[in-house]
Amino acid sequence: MGKQRAFHVDLSGCIGCKACQIACQDKNKLEAGSTWRRVAEVVGGHWVPLGGQWHTDTFAYYVSMACMHCEKPICCEVCPTHARAKRPDGVVLIDQVKCVGCRYCEWACPYGAPQYDASAGKMTGCNFCEDLLAQGKNPACVDSCVMRVLKFGELEELRAKYGTVNAIAPLPEAKLTNPSVVFTPHRHARLSGEDAGLDVTVDKRGAK
Amino acid sequence: MNVHEWALVTFTILAQMSVGAFIVLGVLHWFAVRKAGLEQADRLADHALLAIGPVLVLGMVASTLHLGTPQIAYRAIANLGSSWLSREIFLGTLFAGAGAVFAFMQWRKLASATVRNGVALVAAAIGVALVFSMGRVYLLRTVPIWNTVFTPVMFFVTTFLLGSMAIGAAFVATYQYLQRRNPGNMEVQAALVRGSLRWIAIVSTFLLGIEFVAHPMRALYMGQGAAPASQSAAMLIGPFGVLSVLRLALVFAGAGLLGVFIYQNASSAHGERVMGTLAYVAFVLVLIGEVLGRFLFYATYARVGV
Repeated sequence: MGKQRAFHVDLSGCIGCKACQIACQDKNKLEAGSTWRRVAEVVGGHWVPLGGQWHTDTFAYYVSMACMHCEKPICCEVCPTHARAKRPDGVVLIDQVKCVGCRYCEWACPYGAPQYDASAGKMTGCNFCEDLLAQGKNPACVDSCVMRVLKFGELEELRAKYGTVNAIAPLPEAKLTNPSVVFTPHRHARLSGEDAGLDVTVDKRGAK
Repeated sequence: MNVHEWALVTFTILAQMSVGAFIVLGVLHWFAVRKAGLEQADRLADHALLAIGPVLVLGMVASTLHLGTPQIAYRAIANLGSSWLSREIFLGTLFAGAGAVFAFMQWRKLASATVRNGVALVAAAIGVALVFSMGRVYLLRTVPIWNTVFTPVMFFVTTFLLGSMAIGAAFVATYQYLQRRNPGNMEVQAALVRGSLRWIAIVSTFLLGIEFVAHPMRALYMGQGAAPASQSAAMLIGPFGVLSVLRLALVFAGAGLLGVFIYQNASSAHGERVMGTLAYVAFVLVLIGEVLGRFLFYATYARVGV
């Protein structure tokens, strides 16, 4: 396998502050409602009988997600213009010259990653802060994480270090697109597909 | 529902109607030649043929309205290797081209009738490939409500149902026009129109049957699946329940009831005017029903994941 840049998120330490989401919007000068990185809030739990009493087993966890720069990117498959393409370093980019703004990738992507820029008539999305990387800096989201749980690196190295979990509810099952991401699950986290009874809110900060 | 989807409703409906009309017209023309000779068959069919082109072009123009940057719409055929959207646009353009070549040859009576038939067959084959590719565009593994065999089945039913209804209306219009210009001596044309409408009634009743089976089956099949398939099914019978029923009722009223009427009237030499009105009404009802159906197709979109 070639090089594949990827994010690692330690969800056991994520407090859902959304600093990553805001830092991304700020650095990339995104319009309100356009979120290259989003944080899903997942809650669940019930009343359970325990020793003649009723207790609750409610829980909450957060999933910070951006473009997964998938190994099998459905956006690149369906894109009619080749605007979406996977670079040798594994990053999936959107060529702003080629994109016609048909929004087909937006329909297809199971991570809701492609964002439509209505004023430009083009799709936009996470470019792994390639400009910052070129200067030897970290992506904006990584540097903004107050809990220091958002990291990035080579997928194989991240997997060797943190394991291979890449499908946490409410994200889809990994086999659809093979996302280039590594999660350290929260202790209450459910795996993809086991999202029955979960209540999920994805904050589209500033969405009209 | 925004302009984005209305543009696609308009495009898919008009493009499919064009393909259906082209093929139905070809088949009916073939029968008419055997029944009344080439000249009478051409007299009946040529006006309708020239109307198909503008409908298709209108649809393709509408399709560019769903693009954020329509001025570079030509770029959308770049990924023929893996994108069904590229293939759809490519085949649409090809069908428009082949159809235009045939229409011009037929209009100016260029080459022999056999050669023209050959060109028409090629155009029809491209048309079928176009409708197939339109179906494939929606077979996304991340969108369960679209990713079933029902999508291409429904697209082909729409193609031939709308196509035959449109040709029925076009034949009646042509007949009335010819009658105004040249009153009397219209027996042959009257017989051809009656015969064509009978076949249209039979075929559309059959297609109506498929539609009436396919729609409930699709809702049931989706309803049994996990989210988001069940989410789409819930929309289909919940917030869009009334529209779903209305959509089928309109197509039933158009293709079904009027089909029976046309069949009965077309069998007799009488009731020409009634028959004509029925052909128009049936076309309009089916068109509205199919547009509603296509609106629901897009409106019940729900994707796997987030």
